[in-house]
Amino acid sequence: MRSKKPARPGFAYDALDSVIHERARLSVLTSLVTHPKGLAFADLKSMCALTDGNLSRHLQVLRGAKLIEITKDVDRNRPHTFCRITANGRKRYLEYLAVLEQVIRDVVAGEQSDAAGEGTQVPA
Amino acid sequence: MADLYKALAQIHAIRGQMARGTEFHGYGPETVTATGLLAGAAAALQAAVLKDPGDHAARFLLIWISTAALAVLVTGLQTITRTRRVHSGLVSHMIGSAAESFLPAIGAGILVTLILVRSAPRELWMLPGLWQIFYGLGIFASCRFVPRQMLAVGVWFLATGALCLTTGTGGHALSPWEMGFPFGIGQLLIAAVLKFSYREADEDAQ
Repeated sequence: MRSKKPARPGFAYDALDSVIHERARLSVLTSLVTHPKGLAFADLKSMCALTDGNLSRHLQVLRGAKLIEITKDVDRNRPHTFCRITANGRKRYLEYLAVLEQVIRDVVAGEQSDAAGEGTQVPA
Repeated sequence: MADLYKALAQIHAIRGQMARGTEFHGYGPETVTATGLLAGAAAALQAAVLKDPGDHAARFLLIWISTAALAVLVTGLQTITRTRRVHSGLVSHMIGSAAESFLPAIGAGILVTLILVRSAPRELWMLPGLWQIFYGLGIFASCRFVPRQMLAVGVWFLATGALCLTTGTGGHALSPWEMGFPFGIGQLLIAAVLKFSYREADEDAQ
């Protein structure tokens, strides 16, 4: 009996999460994932080299996807925003990293096999 | 091609950084409890078959080295299995960090045992105390990525080790309870700390 399921292409990379894949959001998540206790908005802004508006917009997207949590309080009469990666965010980031690594390994393998093919080709 | 290898190295570095900031949950409380009970059983076995352990150090070593080897084997296998489950994506980094922290103390314990057996067999009475101190040092070295309360267990092993070295000569030399009591209770304490802190972490994650 033949399967009705179509063959999966070799380079589909379904798990390459589009929410995480955007450059600025990847930068924000990488900063947060390596600081599990969380980061203040100002620290995150300087680490990712983003403007206030840009960072706020990306944080809202990440919070909407339940990848991060944002807490706001007042410290010495100044509003203080603190961002932390959630358990779900950490899990999805690791999955994303695994797929990204696979993409790079596939490219390396492709380049290596091309190089090997060229090396064995008989000149005309 | 160099850029690709650089990207792979960066991914490896990110995983390493994540692993350093992650509390290790690879040790299973149930297995650690089992090793505590195993220590108690080994002490009971020694009490039954070795009436005068001070004169039969080789048999004492056989009982306790076999017990330790079995405990390490069971704990090691279980740790690898559990780490694969709870630290998916960081397995090699987490196991590497755990081994890097704990194994030097175990290695030092093995080395000192070999030296005493070869060069100072009359001082073998010191082994239970020294083993407990080395084990305690291994726990201290692991404290940066296991639950903080584990420090108290490290103190327990240092204290029992010091006590054994102070009182373990003469008629008490190589007594079964110099090993069974500290390791039995100590392993149960480790299991309790792990169980309590894993439950707390699960509640925080929800």
